[in-house]
Amino acid sequence: MSLRRAAVLAAAVLLVLAVGIALSFRPGDRDVVVVYTSVDQVFSEPVFRTCEAETGLIVRAVFDTEETKSTGVLSRLVAEASAPQADVFWSGDPVRPFVLMGRGLVEPYRSSVAAGIPDAFRATDGTWTGFAARARVLLVNTDRVQAAEMPTSIRDLGAPRWRGQTAIANPVFGTTTMHVAALFAAWGDDEARGFLAALRDNDVRVAASNGEVKRLVASGEVAFGLTDTDDAHEAIRGGAPVTVVYPDPDDLGTLVMPTTVVLVSGGPSPTAGRQLIDCLLGPEVERQMADSAAHMPLRPDVATPPGVRTVSSIRAMQVDYEQVASTMERVQPMLRQWVGM
Amino acid sequence: MRRLGRRQEMIALSICAGALAVAVALPVAMLAVETSSSDALVAAGSTLARPATWRLLLVSLGLASATTVGALLVGVPLGTLVARTDLRGRHFLLWLHAFPFFVPPYLLALGWFHLLGRASPLGSAASSEALFSAAGVVGVLTLAYAPVVTGLVVMALRGVDPALEEPARAVAPPGRVVLRILLPLSWPAIAWSALIVFAMALSETGVPLFLRVRTYPAAVFSRLGGFDYAPGEAFALALPLVCAALLLLVVERRLIGDRSFASLVGRHVPQRPYALGRWGGPAAIGSWAQVVLALAPIASLVAVASRGTPASTVGWMGMSLATSALVAVVSATGIAALGFVLGHALARRRTGAAALDALAMLAFVLPSAVLGAGIIAAWNRPEARLVYGSVAILVVGLVGRYAIVGARTVAASVSGTSTHIEEAAAVFGASWLRRMLRIVLPTNATGVATAWLLALLFCLRDLDTVILFYPPGREPLPVRIFTLEANGPDAVVAGLAVVQILATAVVLALGLLMVRRSR
Repeated sequence: MSLRRAAVLAAAVLLVLAVGIALSFRPGDRDVVVVYTSVDQVFSEPVFRTCEAETGLIVRAVFDTEETKSTGVLSRLVAEASAPQADVFWSGDPVRPFVLMGRGLVEPYRSSVAAGIPDAFRATDGTWTGFAARARVLLVNTDRVQAAEMPTSIRDLGAPRWRGQTAIANPVFGTTTMHVAALFAAWGDDEARGFLAALRDNDVRVAASNGEVKRLVASGEVAFGLTDTDDAHEAIRGGAPVTVVYPDPDDLGTLVMPTTVVLVSGGPSPTAGRQLIDCLLGPEVERQMADSAAHMPLRPDVATPPGVRTVSSIRAMQVDYEQVASTMERVQPMLRQWVGM
Repeated sequence: MRRLGRRQEMIALSICAGALAVAVALPVAMLAVETSSSDALVAAGSTLARPATWRLLLVSLGLASATTVGALLVGVPLGTLVARTDLRGRHFLLWLHAFPFFVPPYLLALGWFHLLGRASPLGSAASSEALFSAAGVVGVLTLAYAPVVTGLVVMALRGVDPALEEPARAVAPPGRVVLRILLPLSWPAIAWSALIVFAMALSETGVPLFLRVRTYPAAVFSRLGGFDYAPGEAFALALPLVCAALLLLVVERRLIGDRSFASLVGRHVPQRPYALGRWGGPAAIGSWAQVVLALAPIASLVAVASRGTPASTVGWMGMSLATSALVAVVSATGIAALGFVLGHALARRRTGAAALDALAMLAFVLPSAVLGAGIIAAWNRPEARLVYGSVAILVVGLVGRYAIVGARTVAASVSGTSTHIEEAAAVFGASWLRRMLRIVLPTNATGVATAWLLALLFCLRDLDTVILFYPPGREPLPVRIFTLEANGPDAVVAGLAVVQILATAVVLALGLLMVRRSR
């Protein structure tokens, strides 16, 4: 190879490098907004396309993996705190934003579009706003469970009758963390620890994610499992032999979790971030989430599609999201020990 | 002129050192600093004091050991059959057998789930339980990693000097020659392949997470993906794995000793194949059965994907395939360039080359989530936004993680060439740069092309390294499959997996063509 050819080769390599970087980085892109979300990509990405069409923004997203659901992007937001890359965090549950608030990573924003959302689902200081809610339910395989022995409570996960035949998602990650923390807050530490011990003694399967719980129940690997309504809805839509039980109607009630949106403090494009939040909080997106992901609309003027319960028709568990958030941080080491991590 | 040559070589090696410093040393150092905080030390100390932590480490070491034994049991006989016998279709068989190695292992696990899950046509409660167990993890990883052993055994056996073998062939039966002469001569390559498989199995997180088997790397990952982000604690927890990695490095150094890299894999020497005779049929059936087994999860993914529509798959794919291709090409080019300089220095035993090689090896065996957290800590700052906010950060991460692939491949190639021509050129005043471009590159064109191809395939299949820091809206295809896998329709997820597999097949085919032409 001659030196000239080598130089041409080296120049070509550098060109490829330069073009690659230039293609991906466009400084001064004012109409680009970056959103981190723990809402399933299969549901949230079409919403972002809707918002792109509505606002003219370019929405660039980072999605969670199911295994680290709700905490992967949260961890990344915390890790990037010194130079935030995200403008907006759309959380799949209402407690993760409190972690960001505790670290000073949230900028209050009272969106005028949120006026139609009930006060119980938004912060008075504008730090967070909830919409499109999910619930924690028991997904039951009807081929394996007869109507007469249908579970009614989350305590049935620890019942000896179902030893080795039930599943929950790893409580270190995802909405299961919030659910366990809510139980600690509602029952107190001793009773909640007893419940977890009963699950372990009953050989409950610890799945990687709620989606995995759905898969286990739908395929009949287990008789029933604890998961989210959107996962349950997916199983029903897929034609699996399953039914949904809203647990503990006469006792604790069912945990209801609105998705929440916050403006990240110090993000690269705060104005675009506010525009995106306005779009996300609009009735059109809540309708879209209800239709595609069986999320329960919080706005009274958005119709609930067939097969989806309204929030008012469920006996909802009484939850102080801020208290649950602090409990979540406190019980993390114990939960990791429980799963053997 | 000699002084100029030395200076040029020093500059080139310094550039390599700089690249490894920003991609590996700096991120690791940043995490080490975070580890030194009292909170991280207390938390890590409390975790490391628990017997359960060490039991988990033992489980991981056990899984990695079982995978290594499995890969050896598959790879050594198959490699011997392919390299030294008249097994029918052996060349084609080797490539089919090797293919699953270049597919992200969690996609193979997903394929096995579609095949053996309780709801699948071939599945049952028993098959499902077997898959979702430690044995399932070992099985999936064994089939995925066995090609590493097979490939190195093939190269080693093809490089055995016929003079060492021919006299024995005249008096002893083939089996005895293989067991007493060929395999003992190939043991460094076999041991090397075992080390690679062990290291990869030990740091694997995707497959155990999918099959719900608790492992030590998953525990480290939980400190980074869990509710309480604790990179310092994660790094402290990863220290036993780092120690295991360093131990592997020491073992490898002992293994190689004074041998050149070429002596591990040899140069292809044409040899007479052993006739299998009446054993030809059973050997062919056994070998092809293994290949069918290894390709079964891919076939099941294709079957599931066929239930969907191509339009839907393409719609969900977005720009991820283009991002994957761009990042892989750029990263592989960087790795090959770095490998060209470092591999040559390694083969010629230049000062400092071994240290850089050790750093590159550390990045390869370190849990990828730890490296990822280090890259965020090192690169997420306003002055580095040009890199961190673009696909360039993916290139940084991939070059750091897979630099060893390029360096070792080129080193093996350069070791097999004589130093005489380079020395003669130096005596006649050719500078280092001139010698590298006019002598080393042309005589090792195949080795460099192979390094580029291998790096490209590693970068294409990567998930674990980039998942923590990929830039918004610029996720590579394996990441997109992983994030869609939760609730995406099965046919779409399988369809995207098939696209990933096809892309790998195309690259492999083009690469083979390129390597053949360069010969």
